[in-house]
Amino acid sequence: MATSLSSSISMQARVSATTTRFCLHKPTSIFNNGKANLSFTLQRPIPARLAISCAVKQETVEKVSEIVKKQLSLAEDQKVTAGTKFTELGADSLDTVEIVMGLEEEFGITMAEERAKEIATVQHAAELIEELIQQKTA
Amino acid sequence: MEEEKKFVGGWGKGNKMGERRPEDICWKERWVDVGSAVRLLDLSAMSQMQRSFSIDLPSLRLPSRRETHLWYILPDEVKSTSLLKRYSQLLSQTEKDRVDQMRGDELKKNALLARTLVRTTIARYQTNEAVDPRSLMFKKNMYGKPELDWQNCNVQPLHFNISHTDSLIACGVTVHVPVGIDVEDKERKIKHDVLTFAKRFYSADEVNCLATILDPEAQRKEFIKLWTLKEAYVKALGKGFSAAPFNTFTIQSNPGGYNLCKTSEITANPLEETKKCNGGWKFALLELADSHYAAVCTEDDQADEGAPMRVIVRKTIPFVEDQLILKEYFCN
Repeated sequence: MATSLSSSISMQARVSATTTRFCLHKPTSIFNNGKANLSFTLQRPIPARLAISCAVKQETVEKVSEIVKKQLSLAEDQKVTAGTKFTELGADSLDTVEIVMGLEEEFGITMAEERAKEIATVQHAAELIEELIQQKTA
Repeated sequence: MEEEKKFVGGWGKGNKMGERRPEDICWKERWVDVGSAVRLLDLSAMSQMQRSFSIDLPSLRLPSRRETHLWYILPDEVKSTSLLKRYSQLLSQTEKDRVDQMRGDELKKNALLARTLVRTTIARYQTNEAVDPRSLMFKKNMYGKPELDWQNCNVQPLHFNISHTDSLIACGVTVHVPVGIDVEDKERKIKHDVLTFAKRFYSADEVNCLATILDPEAQRKEFIKLWTLKEAYVKALGKGFSAAPFNTFTIQSNPGGYNLCKTSEITANPLEETKKCNGGWKFALLELADSHYAAVCTEDDQADEGAPMRVIVRKTIPFVEDQLILKEYFCN
């Protein structure tokens, strides 16, 4: 049975004390002689923030989309996906900042202004949110 | 100065801008700019394409030092599908693709008008020959600010900056110094509480200033004005958002105008913020079309420190008409 890789993988790695998320861009399943679990041994320490595009939770993407739609007063049926750019929806910098405030309230996080203003897509927002939640709970 | 039929290019001075030239079949002029230079064209020596651009996009005198030219389009005034089609023919493929990515017809139209405004306006400031707006090339500085790639396309080195809302698209042009502009609908409603928003993003002094305004509507308007001024500064600076987070500088409102105060982080007493309000940047805040606030920010040229900024505002429909709105000096 195919399982989402991000939930079935177990890692053994020499990492620094901070938690590191390691996930692939798309959920895929990997089978190793019929065994569904894999272990990784990493040869070198992973930096605290790994710059790999992560598969974010669908739930996060949906919550972000809701907040974006509300801020920009979009119709309920307006299609907003992970890859949707805020500018394509007509958001300007003031909208982006208000969206960030909405996200901060919803998820109980605080974003640095510079990073917040650079958020271009729903995916970016979701990734940043999950990273900040991780840091909070680490 | 007399017009000579065989004249081959060049500039002449005179009050002829307001007069209709025989070649101006599609050009409407509603204003007279006294003392501006007039371009004498030898149309017979030009190609069909150049002739069309010369007629339909009359050239402009460059902004002088300390001057910002502010152009704007009201999308509601542009309805002709043939005109919009003509505009789309001016765009590069990348620009056309970006217009197509916008969600919805109105957003697509506004994106088209924004690129049209930039290309046609800049093309008109070229002093040697009529420039095809399509031929202009743009690049980004190392922080991502769009700039005219003037070296690669043999045109005047101008600075420009655009800003738009649903109902107004604006472009600022300067020659000697970088410029940043920002426009906002005066009636724009903030979905969060204004002071909560300000405490989160603005400087302490700005929050204190806003807190003294008791009428919520007046407070909201001041908030919007501050937003446009702060955005205009960051855009003029052109170094990306991280170079000037909003809470590291204050726009001070004085009887004479607006001033920039930078909060220094390096201070003997960590609880005290030292502020430097000695300028370095000029600001102007205007109202456009009775519906928008527009902020303009330019770098203060050391030679001009303290001198007021002159702003010339024109409303335009490219290929159709210009309307002079105002010429005003803004002090600091």
